[in-house]
Amino acid sequence: MSQSLVTFKGNQNGIYILIKDGNFQKIKEQLESNLKKAGSFFEGAKVVSIKGKNLSREEKEELKGIIINKFGIDVDEDSDSIDDETAKVETPQFQFFEGIDEGYTKFVRATIRSGQTVESEGNLVIIGDVNPGGVVMAKGNIVILGALRGIAHAGSDGNREAIVAAFYLQPTQLRIANIIARRPDDEIEYSKWPEIARVEDDAVIIETYLPKNK
Amino acid sequence: MGEVIVITSGKGGVGKTTTTANIGTGLAMEGKKVAIVDADIGLRNLDVVMGLENRIVYDIVDVVRKECRLKQGLIKDKRFEGLFLLPAAQTKDKTAVSPAQMVELCNELREMFDYVIIDCPAGIEQGFQNAIAGADKAIVVTTPEISAVRDADRVIGLLEAKGLHNPKLIVNRIRPDMVKKGDMMNIDDMKDILAIDLIGVIPDDEAIVISTNKGEPVIIDNKTMSGQAYRNIVKRIMGEEVPLLELDADEGVFSKLRKLFFGK
Repeated sequence: MSQSLVTFKGNQNGIYILIKDGNFQKIKEQLESNLKKAGSFFEGAKVVSIKGKNLSREEKEELKGIIINKFGIDVDEDSDSIDDETAKVETPQFQFFEGIDEGYTKFVRATIRSGQTVESEGNLVIIGDVNPGGVVMAKGNIVILGALRGIAHAGSDGNREAIVAAFYLQPTQLRIANIIARRPDDEIEYSKWPEIARVEDDAVIIETYLPKNK
Repeated sequence: MGEVIVITSGKGGVGKTTTTANIGTGLAMEGKKVAIVDADIGLRNLDVVMGLENRIVYDIVDVVRKECRLKQGLIKDKRFEGLFLLPAAQTKDKTAVSPAQMVELCNELREMFDYVIIDCPAGIEQGFQNAIAGADKAIVVTTPEISAVRDADRVIGLLEAKGLHNPKLIVNRIRPDMVKKGDMMNIDDMKDILAIDLIGVIPDDEAIVISTNKGEPVIIDNKTMSGQAYRNIVKRIMGEEVPLLELDADEGVFSKLRKLFFGK
């Protein structure tokens, strides 16, 4: 098999099946063999959507039939129209969360400890610290009312305008969109002031945002 | 109705078992009825530290599988009235017990004792899940090393996820001279990261090695610094307010005065 035409993805809602362009007969064969290989792995699971930009409605129904009748897995799509839209979004013009000055914001009042991850579809405000080994991710901005010692990823789906701000900005790693900055290997003197990180000329820069009255 | 306290850390070798033995013994010295439970199935050693290895007939697996009665599994301590040990099994592994069985066991022990202290295995897998399942409170032990603090942080997160909020922190094996020189993490750094209440600081002490090898918890020895530190922790567990030990033996009068006036 040179490349796989059928990919399975899952999230808390259920399973997504992504179909690439290709011979429909091959797609059917691959779907069946993949499901067969998975055995009881998908038992009790629910397929929430089948995505493929070049699939006709009939072809999609046929795939659905295979999944339901041959393997006994539920298929519960909200509606095909929504589905087609998402399929379109995946094509060239890539869209990302654009709420920079306003928009959906998630507030978390907790210390994000090693091994914990917090994600937001919009902006993210952490009222607490982010410890080493902890990860915070947002499609928009990240503001930490505490110390950032772990990893922060702002603009996680490509938004370069996103920023990360923290009272103590001491991250292990800082990512904005597709740009990754890491802490220098040598000991560094951290600012005692709140700081903000943003992208300028393909690099993450960090600066204070309050006037210093020394 | 007693209180079930789990002693945990994430990282191995930071002193969970020693802490369990000493806190258990200390509470018994105060006249409490105490059970210490070794949840480290397959790598049992709380019995060795307590010097009770030769008395084991039944173990925790026998008890949860109802192959013996709970009273048969509990080993009476040789020094203190009211102190009992429930040893781990050595020939089984962590999967021999389930969290639900541990909850049931803890409920039973809670009826019989004032305090139940559980020695948690290292790691965050099933052994850990078993050990914390029936606990009301948790004490996290760490040493002043970045790796131990990182693991402690992870464990605190897992404890909170299981509903064990506000665990208490013990910093073990601290060396005041090294902290002073800046070669060792200081307590404030650790408190800063972990953001939980400190319940005690144990100095690095040769007496612990000696007492462990003798099978006699150091808390019994009145002359040791570490014994004193453990006695203070025991008092704090019972709700008394005890100031932290002054570990710095050769501190000058001036800095003591400064501490007196300006706090830490």
